Amino acid sequence: MTSSSKKDLTLAALAAVFLILAAVFLTDALGRPKLPAPLPLVDTNFLSTATVRRSYADLVKAKDDLSDFDCYTCHEKGKAPPLRYDSRQNLIVAKEHADVVMGHGSHGRNNNCFNCHNETNLELLQSRDGRQLRFSDSPQLCGSCHGPTYRDWETGVHGRTGGYWNRTGEPTDRKACVNCHDPHSPHFPGRHPAPGPHGLHETADAPSTQPETHR
Amino acid sequence: METPEPVPDMNRRSFLRTSAVLTTGLAALAASLKPLMEMTDFPTAERFMQKYYKEMSKTDMEKVLKRIADDVEQQYGLRPEVRDYKPLNGVEYVYCLNLTRCIGCRKCVHACVAENNQSRSPEIQYIRVLKLPHGSLDIEKADHNYAPESVPEKGFFYMPVQCQQCKNPPCVKVCPVHATWQETDGITVIDYDWCIGCRYCEAACPYWARRFNFTKPSIPKERINPNMSYLGNRPRRQGVMEKCHFCIQRTRQGKYPACLEVCPTGARKFGNILDPSSEVSHILRTKRVFIQLKEEMGTNPRFFYYFDV
Ligand code: HEC
Ligand code: HEC
Ligand code: HEC
Ligand code: HEC
Repeated sequence: MTSSSKKDLTLAALAAVFLILAAVFLTDALGRPKLPAPLPLVDTNFLSTATVRRSYADLVKAKDDLSDFDCYTCHEKGKAPPLRYDSRQNLIVAKEHADVVMGHGSHGRNNNCFNCHNETNLELLQSRDGRQLRFSDSPQLCGSCHGPTYRDWETGVHGRTGGYWNRTGEPTDRKACVNCHDPHSPHFPGRHPAPGPHGLHETADAPSTQPETHR
Repeated sequence: METPEPVPDMNRRSFLRTSAVLTTGLAALAASLKPLMEMTDFPTAERFMQKYYKEMSKTDMEKVLKRIADDVEQQYGLRPEVRDYKPLNGVEYVYCLNLTRCIGCRKCVHACVAENNQSRSPEIQYIRVLKLPHGSLDIEKADHNYAPESVPEKGFFYMPVQCQQCKNPPCVKVCPVHATWQETDGITVIDYDWCIGCRYCEAACPYWARRFNFTKPSIPKERINPNMSYLGNRPRRQGVMEKCHFCIQRTRQGKYPACLEVCPTGARKFGNILDPSSEVSHILRTKRVFIQLKEEMGTNPRFFYYFDV
């Protein structure tokens, strides 16, 4: 073979290889890694800054249903409703007050309605130190028995204060005790946790099975 | 005189042949670069020529903020408000987290993602909530994949971990290009346009607080937070680091961070340690048991965990 025909052959072979390669690239013949299906978005309920409960003050502000607080649609003015106990000295709550489930402190130590509600005017609260308070001033009622916690709350250490840390902007928004604690059963309720982290290589179609450490 | 070298054996035909091969070769090369044409994330000349954050004048910054807003609008189809918030005078931020209160509900994790425009898929989250058995503080053995029907679980406590905003931050020291630094209010920030993605800082951080964008972040348009800041929550691109920055776009306007606002138990406390009447000052004065994570490393975190006793 002459050197020039050898060269011709190599060139032709090279051109062929290049042509095939170009075709492969252009048609994506080898396939492209598939884009993974996107992970599901988190339920927006988990993003809500609402507190676990709405207080009387919240209901007033939202112009919501206040019938539970209209004590005298059912009760007679000036006549304290009688408290009834079962044989084991547990308070029996009327079925009309099904939403009042008592469990204040271990062994129901603070279940007596009139530890907090005023006997002669049901629409007022009654603190331990003898003050009569409106429902919207309930933190002071709690404070009359929970002094240290109340003082922590006043400085923003217990509970939650939203809005502005520098107190120069709009008024700060200090949540009331009853926003987090049901006054009748104040233990903070458990809740369903938001979803945990997905692994780096995890996709909607291939959830990781191995628990990762750290990340 | 010497005779000139003979012209190489190059006639018209062989020239044509060689160029035919060259052309097919170039065509193959061009075809192999096809995926590049689909790339949308090319640095624009403007971004490429951008100055270092600390050297930008006000007008430089205005131009950059407009460029970022344009980029976001083009990518996500909505016009954001992008600003550059400077540290406030006489302010040093501190975070306190009450471990007796935290119930491990992870609302903070997702509120943070929403506020700070983190990628949803793949997922980037600044906060990891660790579940630990009572009496233990061995965070290397903690579980963060817990998924019970209800939290808290008996016998466990929960410890959310995010950037600890160290006074002595190892991440800042290892950055070869000074793309991350500590500001006067104590927040360690990242210039996403200066970061080269070497991940040294990620390796240096003892708290696993830094996150890397391995791929292009993806955020659905309807979940974009349009209130953005340069050093804070503007969308990142592939190949850069990010982490918690105490919600710069909120806190430097006097607001509380998003993780605090969403916490149902009030376990999270934030404020100015230089103000004696702030919540965090009260806590550091009156509570007794504090934990600075891995304090033996000398990082001196501005993030304090405590138990109510
Ligand atoms: C829907 C009607 C209704 C409303 C509204 C209502 N009550 Fe009653 N309440 C009852 C009935 C019925 C009883 C049982 C009556 C009885 O034995 O005399 C009762 C009983 C009580 C008792 C005694 C404990 C018990 O459960 O038997 C207290 C205390 C009481 N109510 C307080 C209040 C207060 C305070 C309000 C307003 C904030 C209120 N109630 C509003 C119907 C109502
Ligand atoms: C620890 C104090 C405390 C005790 C004890 C207590 N309450 Fe209350 N109660 C409150 C407070 C505070 C509110 C207002 C809560 C708010 O703002 O949401 C309230 C609200 C109510 C309401 C109106 C809202 C609702 O949930 O229906 C009724 C009715 C009521 N109490 C009945 C009772 C009865 C009956 C008892 C006794 C079985 C009782 N309470 C015991 C503090 C107490
Ligand atoms: C009359 C006094 C009194 C008032 C008023 C009072 N409490 Fe209590 N509270 C108690 C007692 C007693 C306990 C039980 C302490 C114990 O068991 O160690 C208790 C316990 C608690 C607990 C702990 C519950 C648990 O299971 O962990 C919470 C939370 C609480 N109260 C919240 C409140 C709130 C909120 C208010 C205001 C709506 C309030 N308390 C008003 C007396 C009071
Ligand atoms: C942001 C929500 C929130 C607010 C607001 C709040 N608490 Fe609590 N409180 C909690 C949580 C969470 C706990 C721990 C769980 C539990 O024991 O129920 C707690 C615990 C308590 C306890 C048990 C003792 C302790 O420290 O663990 C008392 C008493 C108490 N709170 C009283 C109050 C009073 C009084 C107020 C208002 C002055 C108030 N809380 C406001 C969330 C709140």
